[in-house]
Amino acid sequence: MEIKVNTKDSVTTAQLIGRLDTPASQEVSGDFDNLMQFAAGTIILDCTQLEYISSSGLRLFLSLRKAAASKGGKVIVKAINNDIRSVFMMTGFLNLFEIQN
Amino acid sequence: MKKEKHKLTDIENKSARIGLIPIFIAALTLEATSITQYIFSQKGIREEASMRAESQMETTKARIMDVINQAEAAVRNSIWIAQWCLEVPDSMGRVTERIVKDNPVVVGSTVAFVPGYDKKHNLFAPYSYREEGTGTIKLKTLATREYDYPSQDWFTKPLELDAGYWSEPYVDDDGGDMLMTTYSLPLRDANGNVAAVITADISLDWLNDLVGNVSVYPSAFSVLLSRSGQVMVCPVETLVMNTNIQDIRASSDNESFKDLSDSMLSGKSGKIRITDRGITSQVYFSPVERTGWSMSIVIPESEIYAGIRRIGMIVKLLQILGIVMLVLILRSVAKRQQQYQKLNEQKERIQGELQIASAIQMAMIPKIYPPFPDRDDIDVFGRLTPAKEVGGDLFDFFIRDEKLFFCIGDVSGKGVPASLYMMVTKALFRTISAHEAQPSKIVSNLNDIMSEDNESNMFVTLFLGVLDLPTGRLHYCNAGHDAPFLIGNTGAGMLPVDSNLPVGVMPKWKFSQQETIIDPDTSIFLYTDGLTEAENITHGQFEMDRVKELAQKLQKDRDFSPTVIIERMTGAVHAFVGEADQSDDLTMLAIKYTKHHEEIVYQRSLTLTNDLSRIPRLNSFIDEVCEANGFDNPTTMQLNLAIEEAVVNVMNYAYPEGTKGDITIEASSDGKEMKFSITDTGKPFDPTAKPEVNITLSAEDRAIGGLGIHLIRQITDRINYERTSGHNILTLIKKLSNTQA
Repeated sequence: MEIKVNTKDSVTTAQLIGRLDTPASQEVSGDFDNLMQFAAGTIILDCTQLEYISSSGLRLFLSLRKAAASKGGKVIVKAINNDIRSVFMMTGFLNLFEIQN
Repeated sequence: MKKEKHKLTDIENKSARIGLIPIFIAALTLEATSITQYIFSQKGIREEASMRAESQMETTKARIMDVINQAEAAVRNSIWIAQWCLEVPDSMGRVTERIVKDNPVVVGSTVAFVPGYDKKHNLFAPYSYREEGTGTIKLKTLATREYDYPSQDWFTKPLELDAGYWSEPYVDDDGGDMLMTTYSLPLRDANGNVAAVITADISLDWLNDLVGNVSVYPSAFSVLLSRSGQVMVCPVETLVMNTNIQDIRASSDNESFKDLSDSMLSGKSGKIRITDRGITSQVYFSPVERTGWSMSIVIPESEIYAGIRRIGMIVKLLQILGIVMLVLILRSVAKRQQQYQKLNEQKERIQGELQIASAIQMAMIPKIYPPFPDRDDIDVFGRLTPAKEVGGDLFDFFIRDEKLFFCIGDVSGKGVPASLYMMVTKALFRTISAHEAQPSKIVSNLNDIMSEDNESNMFVTLFLGVLDLPTGRLHYCNAGHDAPFLIGNTGAGMLPVDSNLPVGVMPKWKFSQQETIIDPDTSIFLYTDGLTEAENITHGQFEMDRVKELAQKLQKDRDFSPTVIIERMTGAVHAFVGEADQSDDLTMLAIKYTKHHEEIVYQRSLTLTNDLSRIPRLNSFIDEVCEANGFDNPTTMQLNLAIEEAVVNVMNYAYPEGTKGDITIEASSDGKEMKFSITDTGKPFDPTAKPEVNITLSAEDRAIGGLGIHLIRQITDRINYERTSGHNILTLIKKLSNTQA
């Protein structure tokens, strides 16, 4: 699991690459903590290359979303595949995030 | 509310109007009765008055006639001696003296000779009379120049008539103011020639007393008239012997008075109604024979009808009293009717509300049977028959995570209070059981909530069981309820139960939990005391023995499906109770458990240490299983996710930080369903006992955790947790793709 972060102006893009399962979530939780500093602006979680997500991965997404909400920023989830979309659907996450294709 | 009030005043008006009509009719009837009565009694009273007047007159007349007869007799009886004395006129004084002497009514008597009959005297009339005061009989002659007796009426008239004659009454100038009348009779000599007139004077002073004292009515009075119309007796003394009725008649313009006057003077008898100076009177009149007199009695009508008027007044008073009482009675009746109507409306409203309450309560009781048509391992049938509209019995059951949760209960008391408590119990059973699978915990939880602020001191006996369907393991907690029956292939008997306290009695009570294995093809029969205590007419009870007997019979016949048990029990109770009213709520619940026999067509297992780094190994194992069983990619990914969540849960919670342990994942298939059993030896941990997360909340309100079990439920078809001999076993079941709809 790899995260590439790129900040341009007030827009921070994080490319999520690989499987965000439980161990991977532990692995990247520090990266997500780092993303919190951009929570006042716009954070795009680019999921083009995200294959899988578990509940611990969803927890990271939710924590970031909560931080953005408190700082006045927003989190955009971009290009999720159908499997992840179905997980978002089951958990109500489709309504929590702005989803971009 | 407003409308109702309006309706009530309507009723009030109506009843007031309804009340007036009978009063009006009653008053009318009473009035008509009294008028009729008045008319008839008036007639009767008039007749009575006339009878009284006539009888008075007859009596008076008879007494007058008595005197008259005496006087006439005195004269007649003396004729023979007078005739005899005609030859010696000087002895005639003896005759007259004897007449007076022998007849007390006679005050004077004479034999007056026809002028010239006695050659010696020409005029000769010796007169004997009773002297006023002394009573001695004196003799004098009437043959004086001043008197000239041959010209007097008493002398001329009998000669004219050649018969006895009663003179007009007159006031005797000689003997005081005595009112007199004279009876005179011609006296013939032996040759038949009229020789003299023989007379008897009688005083009429007694007439005034006799006639004047008419006692029929207080103001009634009598008038006696002479032949010529002279007033002889009359209450107005100045008129007596001073006035002739014909003079009054001449000056009167009262027609009825004229009629009266004419009738009396012509000797008729009858009655006439006369109104004089505003007073209307009935005048009864009748002649006095031989004398030519006419007597009348005058009675003012006001006195005739005085009695009837008085009675009329009393009757009227009674009528008014009666009407007043009728009004009072009707008012109280109307009031009572109103109250009754109000009460009735209230009753109807309560009845209506009770029916709605009954419908609500019944809707809370499971009533679709069979309840689990898709399952072949469990069959349930229940029936609740409340004694009243609503009752305090309850039963409920549902399946969650391959466990049948069921309970039966009986709230103390009956009716509405019991039903409220029953509803609370049933709602709490569902709520608590949604995230708790230990019967003792569910019951404790229920007890804590229900015994808090339990001011009405109500309680509920409850049997609560959780049957693990894959294993047949039954956990149960009995809170003061009757022990259920188990009816199976090897026999019928009662499930041993701890009694505990009923729910709601004591907070924080530790309820004990019991456990047993239900053999396949066994029925659990639960009931309330409405069964064992069902009463017949003679208050005999159905009793446990009858329940037992029937249970054993069903066991023997191998005929104990839930429906059969309950139908047969119901039939037996009805036959026993007969015509008696149902005394208590009757509730029965039967559960038949049949173990699911699975034929394993695929089986693989994987054991991991509790280390997150082993997750990728798990993923590849799931991928392989899914591929081998024909799951598509998205499903494979989801199953990966579900099982990873389940395993991570175990790693995080069953094995606390620092402890080591294994986790075994067994995948098996019976050709229809894929079963993943995740077994560990860690501390008891039931992931199914978690409230559902609310996925509709906003980001701010959503909790970070709880998503794992949510995803597991979403992805699998069924899950089941069971703690058995030191093992946590979580089973996830997913239908195979070829069986999916």
